[in-house]
Order: sequence, then structure tokens, then C-alpha cells
Amino acid sequence: MSEQFTDQFVRWDTFSSALWYRTKAGRYRLEGTRCTHCDTKFFPPRTGLICPVCHERAMEPYQCAQTGEVVTMALDDVGFPAIGYGDNMPRIQAIVKLDDGIHLMVDLIQVADPSEVQPGTRVKMVLRKHKREDTGAWVYGYGFVIDR
Amino acid sequence: MGKILRRVMMVGGFITPPSIPMDWTWRQMATEAFWGAIKNAGVAVKDVDLVACNYNDRAIADSSPGPQIAEALGIIPKPVVPIANACAGNGIASYVAWNAIASGRCDIVVSMGFARSDNYDAMEAMNTQGNYVDFDFMMGMTHINYGSMRDAYYRRKYDVPLTAAGQWAYECNWYARRNPLAANYNKPMPVLEELCADTPDADRDRQATNRGGVASAMVFVGEELAKNFTDKPALFDVAYAFRPPYIGNFFNYPVESMKDYDLAELPGLMAASKEAFQIAGIEKKDIDLVQVHDLTAYEGMMAIEAIGICELGKSKEYVLSGGMTLESKCPINTYGGGPAFGHGSAGSDFQAGVIENFLQVRGEAGERQVKGATVGVNTSYGTHHSLDVVGVVQKGW
Repeated sequence: MSEQFTDQFVRWDTFSSALWYRTKAGRYRLEGTRCTHCDTKFFPPRTGLICPVCHERAMEPYQCAQTGEVVTMALDDVGFPAIGYGDNMPRIQAIVKLDDGIHLMVDLIQVADPSEVQPGTRVKMVLRKHKREDTGAWVYGYGFVIDR
Repeated sequence: MGKILRRVMMVGGFITPPSIPMDWTWRQMATEAFWGAIKNAGVAVKDVDLVACNYNDRAIADSSPGPQIAEALGIIPKPVVPIANACAGNGIASYVAWNAIASGRCDIVVSMGFARSDNYDAMEAMNTQGNYVDFDFMMGMTHINYGSMRDAYYRRKYDVPLTAAGQWAYECNWYARRNPLAANYNKPMPVLEELCADTPDADRDRQATNRGGVASAMVFVGEELAKNFTDKPALFDVAYAFRPPYIGNFFNYPVESMKDYDLAELPGLMAASKEAFQIAGIEKKDIDLVQVHDLTAYEGMMAIEAIGICELGKSKEYVLSGGMTLESKCPINTYGGGPAFGHGSAGSDFQAGVIENFLQVRGEAGERQVKGATVGVNTSYGTHHSLDVVGVVQKGW
């Protein structure tokens, strides 16, 4: 294997760059959507979809809060990890409640000791390099760090 | 709800045993289940009006699976409704069958499922399942991670001790030693204290064991026809409901029936059970036994809370006080559950519970027979409880 590409590629399926392109606003800057009719906010974005609350079809981009607190967390140590994360295992994953009430499942990064993270721990979004996509290009997206 | 024109009767069922031959194709597996069920019911192939069949959409590469399945079963030109809806999709197959019969359109319908999971490199492909791929799997969150997160949250929210989860797995294993169809039938009984330990091995043992490839089938007929096939038909009813698949949306989703719940409860299962009980004409007090689809012990505990066997967060007391055993007023998982019967995925996770309840109300469950059982309920789920199915089997003679 080339030294340039030391990580195993995700080759079992054919996720394309086009798929990554379509989700870039949500992945890079936590862009969700807001229903202009009833003001309910959503992440993942519901662009072009029907609002499950008021049943109108009137979504617009919405910038989710980029700070919040940990609701619960778990170590990714039960086997069969996602491919592409190399030396970052085991990862610390968490459900985060953003300050606008939206919940996400995220990677908590730059945490030396898992016991540093407890329900209620304040966190903030950062942009991070995640893994390689099928084409070999790096995937960037949101991660969260402790807001010290 | 519309008008139900006639009741639906179950007259036969079949599930492939654990460890079926490695060289069987998905076609052989599906046919084995179909053949076993119709022979069990005394139905001729030519008399089957419709087949509804769930499959694991990563287990076969063939597109347009309907005619491929129909051809394998030898029923062409009769139709097959193909369903690809994760583990509980065989519950949706039974829902399709139920509707076809209750409406009067069909007289004899087979509901089935198959999963030939080792057709792919299982775990990496499995890792997307049940997820909202764009914003979790593609961000490194897998099917397994969802489960770990849910269990951790449920334990923390309701202060559930490891002993309750260990006891759950133990009782499942006790039943499995009395069920020749269970994956753990011939294996040594685990030690309760070891199942309750705070170790990775114990955690694994509290989770579902794998059956490998599996297929199952059930035969349903209109009520006026049932006595042509068996003296002991069972009434069957089924309902299912959805929940948004992204895990963040399990928290206070802004729809009326879900906004008061989070990752530690199963509002989809609550909705499905409410409808199923209504259609079946039963109340919670009527239920004699319950089978749940539980990939982890905690999940099973959440399920019996959702259908009302105990209050939210109270299943730990139910389990620790012997609620799952044959001496209980409502035994749980007499088929062996996920930890011991095994995970049948798209092939059997719903239908395994129905088939067990079918045997129970007919008095054919051997050493695990619940005395006087007349009403059995079973639950199943897919996509981490964004799809929940509830079945009700009642003595029908």
C-alpha cells in the first residue's frame, strides 16, 4: 500500500464524492433547516422536505448553535469500529444538546481521559479531519471539543 | 381506522435451524422456510395467493427481488411483495399479509423473511444499518455505536444495574436450553454472576448471539378457511409505527406522540402496541406472555416498558423479581430472546416471536410451555427502534 494512503479505504460500497458534496453545509458548519411556517428547527437539514409539525413545505437554511452540553457518552470500544479512524481509537462519542435544543451524535476530540467528560460538560464545535472517502480524499466535518 | 372485513388466522410457521449449511444460497434459505411453513400448514404451493417477503438489502445483489423470489418459490405468476426494512421488516411482511387477507383480496398468504448476511463482509456493511447515513455513518457513527449510546443512556437515566441485564440474559438462556430452535440450545448454561460482571466479555454475553443465515415463514388464511388446515388455528393481528432514524431526533422530537420521550424510551413501540391491542381486542391484563426482539438486554427491558408490562424505568424490578420466568403472571422471552435464541435479522427477528407464541397458545412449547396461554404478544424493531412492530397471537378455536 502506498505510504501516502496508509489508512484502509472504505471500499465495500460506492459512496461517491457527489454524496459528500451534497451534505457539505451540514458537515462543515452545522447548517440545518428551519420551518418558516412554524419556526421548528431541524438537524440533519430537511431541505425540500415536509415539516412533521405543521406539515407545510417551507424550509430555509438555519445555522445551528455551535456550543452545547454533553447529554450522554460512550466509548467506541465494542468492536467493529468505523473504518478510517486509525490511531484515534477508541473514540469518545457523545450525544450533545446544542444551545438551541438540537441534539447531535458527535465525536469528542482532544480528550485525554474519558472521565473528563460527564453529562453537562460544556462543548463547542470545531472543524476536523475525519477520514478518507472512497476516492481517497480526506473528509472534513464537525467534531466537538471541551469548552474550557 | 378502516373497516376490517374478516379476521386473520395463522395456520403454520417455520424457521430455519441455527447454523444452516454454509453453501446454501439465499434462494435455498428462502425456499426452505416457505416449504417448511406450507407443509406445516397443509397448504399446497398452487393455492398460495400472495407472498410478502422481507430481505436484507445488502445480502443480495439482485435487483427487482420480487420475481426472483417468486421464481425460487415456484409460484410464478403469483405476486411477491418485496420488503427491505431491516430486522423488523419480516413484521411488515406479516402486515402486508394481514391486510391482503383482512381486506378479502386474498385467502392464503405467506409472510416470510430471509437474511444471508455473510454474502457481504458483514460488519462494515452492517455498520450503516439503522442509521441516517449522511450525518452519522458518514461521520463515523455506526450501527453498533448507536446501540452502545442507547444502552449507556438508558442505564444512566433509569439507574439500571448490571444485575438486571445479567438476569435478563440468564433467563433467555434458561429458555433457550429448552428450545431446539435456539442458537444456544446445545451450549453450556452461563453462570449468572459472570453475566452480571462489568467486563467486555459479560457485555458481549448480554447481547444477541448470532444465528448466521436464517429464514422464516408463516401461513395466514381467512378465518372461515382456517379449519380446513388445522384444528388449532391462531388469531393474528399486527401493527407498526415509525420514529425518525437520526439518533439526535430521538430526543424530544417535536411530534405530539414523541416530544416527551428520548433515547431511553420507545414511543414508536408504544404507538404500535396501542394499535395492535385495539385491533386484536385485548388489553394489557389479557396478555399471558411476551416475546421481544432484544439485541441487548437493556433493549429488551425498554421494550417491555413500552408495551406496558411495567412502568417506564421499572423493568429492572420486574426482571430481578422473577418476572421473566414461567412462574410469573407474564413470562418474557420463552423463545430465548436475542441473547440465546439469536439474532435472525431480516430473516426472523419478528416472526421468531410470532412462531413461539403460535406454539404457546397451541400448547406445543414443551418444557417452556406457559400454562393456559391464550394471548401472546411479540415485538420487533429495525433501524434502532425507528421502526417498531407488535404482533398479537390468540388462541383461535
